[in-house]
Amino acid sequence: MIPAVQELQAAFQARGYVAGDALATALRLVVGLGKPLLLEGPAGVGKTEAAKTLADVLGTRLIRLQCYEGLDAQSALYEWNYARQLLHLRAAELRGEAVGDDDLYGETFLMPRPLLQAIREPRSAVLLIDEIDRADDAFEAFLLELLAEWQITVPELGTLPAVSRPHVILTSNRSRELSDALRRRCLYHWTEYPSRAQELQIVLSRLPGINETLARQVTDAVHALRALPLGKTPGVAETLDWAAALVSLHADHLDAEALHATLGAVLKLREDQLLAAPTLQGVAAQAQARG
Amino acid sequence: MAESGRSGVAGAPAALAAQVATFAGRLRRRHGFLIGPGEVRDALRALELVDLLSRRELRGALRAVLTAGPEQGRLFDLEFNAFFRAGGQPQPELPPLLPETPAPAEPDPDGDQADQPDREQGKPDTRPEQAPSPQAGSDPGGDLPDGEALQDGQESDEGDEQDAPVMQARVSPNVAPGEALRVDAGDLGGLLRAATGLIRALELGRARRLRPLPRGSKLDARRTLHAAARTAGDAVHLRWLGRPRRAPRFLLVLDGSRSMGRDGALLLRFAQALHLRSRRVEVYAFSTGLTRLTPLIRGAAPGQPLTLPDLGDAWGGGTRIGENLLRLARDERGRVNRDTVVLILSDGLDTGDPALVGRALRDLRRRSAGVVWLSPLAATPGYRPVQRAIAAALPHLDALLPAGGPDDLHALGRRLRAARLTRGASPRDAH
Repeated sequence: MIPAVQELQAAFQARGYVAGDALATALRLVVGLGKPLLLEGPAGVGKTEAAKTLADVLGTRLIRLQCYEGLDAQSALYEWNYARQLLHLRAAELRGEAVGDDDLYGETFLMPRPLLQAIREPRSAVLLIDEIDRADDAFEAFLLELLAEWQITVPELGTLPAVSRPHVILTSNRSRELSDALRRRCLYHWTEYPSRAQELQIVLSRLPGINETLARQVTDAVHALRALPLGKTPGVAETLDWAAALVSLHADHLDAEALHATLGAVLKLREDQLLAAPTLQGVAAQAQARG
Repeated sequence: MAESGRSGVAGAPAALAAQVATFAGRLRRRHGFLIGPGEVRDALRALELVDLLSRRELRGALRAVLTAGPEQGRLFDLEFNAFFRAGGQPQPELPPLLPETPAPAEPDPDGDQADQPDREQGKPDTRPEQAPSPQAGSDPGGDLPDGEALQDGQESDEGDEQDAPVMQARVSPNVAPGEALRVDAGDLGGLLRAATGLIRALELGRARRLRPLPRGSKLDARRTLHAAARTAGDAVHLRWLGRPRRAPRFLLVLDGSRSMGRDGALLLRFAQALHLRSRRVEVYAFSTGLTRLTPLIRGAAPGQPLTLPDLGDAWGGGTRIGENLLRLARDERGRVNRDTVVLILSDGLDTGDPALVGRALRDLRRRSAGVVWLSPLAATPGYRPVQRAIAAALPHLDALLPAGGPDDLHALGRRLRAARLTRGASPRDAH
C-alpha cells in the first residue's frame, strides 16, 4: 500500500522532516511510478535527509552510494575478493585439483557494493545516490544503463537481474551539468531554502527542547544572512547546528555575546563573517530590544 | 507495481489526460522542454497517483515529471498557471520566455540564471536577421563619443596610450545592444592550432581515478588475477593501473562591452576552436548582464560564421566587470573546479566598483587551477596595468597577458608555460 501524498507528508512531519507539497508529491511518484528522482538544490537544504526519511517512512533499508571524483563502476557495483581467490587457487594447487573459471568466479568471491546490494534486496530499498555531480560522465553513463535495465552484468558471472527495484533518489549540488539523458530518465525536483515559517517548524520539531523565542530569532537571523552575497550561504543544517549550539550554551534568546560565541556554527568563511557583521549586529540589537 | 485507488472524480481523467498531453506539447514547442511520449505517459500515470482535486498536487506531479532543471521550474509554473486556470481554458498570451534573456538585476537565490540546458539554445530555430559584421576593422569612424572621452581622459582611470585605429575598432558603434551578432569563420585552422598549443601548455598533473594502463604505478589485481587463472594461478603477465593526465577545463569569460567589439569576436572564435579541441569549455559573456554562451558555441558548425542571437545586455552595452565576475563566482561556482583554467578577456575599462573585481577573482582563484586575464590593451606598446579593474585584479591573477590578435593567441600556450600555471596541480608522478 502506497501512502497518498498527504499521508506521506504527515509521516515525514512525524519524523521531523517538513516536506512541502511539491517534494511530497515527487516522492509519492518515486514510489508510484518507479522512476528515480533527481533532487537538486543548494547545499544543506535536506536533500539527503529526504531520502533517509523516505526509507524510514516506507520501513525499508536505505542504501547509500556517496559519489566522488574518481568513483568507478567497480567500487559502486561489485568487487572480486582477490585475496580469497588467490588462496583458493593455491589451496587447489596443493590438492592437485584443476581450477576453472566457474570455481573462481562464483558468488563466494563476489563482494557486492551499494548498487548491486540495492537490486538484490528482497524488498525495494531506498537507494540514495548522493552528489552524483561529483562523479564523472563515464560513471553517469554507466548509471543510466542500470536505471534503464535494472540488471547488472558481471562479465565472469553473467547478468544479475534485479530481485526488487529500489526507489532511487539522486542528489546533486550542480557542480557539474548533468547529461540530458540522465535528467530525462528521472523525475525532477528543485529543493529551495525553506520559508521562514517552514524553517521555524523544522527547528522546533528537530530540537524539541528549544525556547520558541530563540528558535524564531535564529531563523530570522539566518534568513537575513541568506539575503547577503555570502561565499557560503548557510543551509538548514547550519540553522539546526546553530540553534543546537545556542541551546547547549543555555541561551534563551539571541544576544550579541551568544551570537559572537556561536557564529562559527553558521558562517564558515572568514570573509563571510566580516561581511555579515553589520547585519548580525542589527539582528542582535533587534532581538534585545524585543526580548 | 501496486497502484493505489484512483482518487479523482470519475470521468475527469479522460478529459484531463487530453489536456495534459496538450500542455506537454505546449511546453515542448514553446520552451524546448525535452518531452517525448514517455514523459507524457509518465505524466498520465502520475495523475492516477495524486489527488486530482488538489491543484497543488496536480502541479507538483506534473512538474516532477515534465521538468528537468531549475530554470524550467519557473517556466513550468507560469505555463501551468496560464493553462490550468479555471476550467482549463488555455490563455494564449504568455510570451515564450527566451532562455538567454534572464532578468539582469534580480539576484537569483537558487544559484543559476543564465544557464539553460544545451538543448534549448543549441539550435536556435529562429535565426535572427544577420547584423553587419561587428568586427569589421575598417568601419567608418562615425561618432565616437566614448572614444573621445577615452582619448583625452589621460588622467582618468581609463586613460592609457593607444593608437587611433585600435580605438576606432574598439568603440565600433556597429555593436549596439539588441542586435544579433555574427562572427565570421575566419582562420579556423590557425585558431585550432592555437587552441591545441594552449591545451598542451597546461600541465595539471594526473587524475585521481586509476585506469588500466600499459604501464602504471599500481598493480591491477583484478586483471592480473584474471590472466593468472589461465596460467594455473601464476601471475605471468602483470597488469597495471595508473593515473592518466588530467585534461584542463576552460572557463572563458568574455567582455562583450562595446569597447571590446573586435577582440571579443576574435575570442569568441577562439572559444569555438578551443571547444572543438577540448569539449570541456564553458563560455560566458558579460557586459551589463551575464549570459552563458556555451550552448551556442556547442551548436555552431565549425568553419561556418558564428551567429549568436540577440544577447541582450550581455553584448554591446557598458561594462560592469566586478558585478558580473562576482555573480559568476557565486552563482556558477559549480563550473569552477581544480581542473578549471579561468580565462577572462577584458580591457578592464569598467564603470563598476573595482573592489568587487578583487573579491570575485579571489573567490575564483581559490577554486580554480588558475586565473588568467587577457587584455587587448596589454598588446599595445608601453602598456601599464593602471585601469581600476585591472589594478584591483592584479594581485589575484596568475598572469596578465596581451590578446591583441591571432599572434597573441598563438603565443598564449608558451606564455602560460612561462608563467608556470601549475599551481593547482598535484606533483607529477615519477614515471
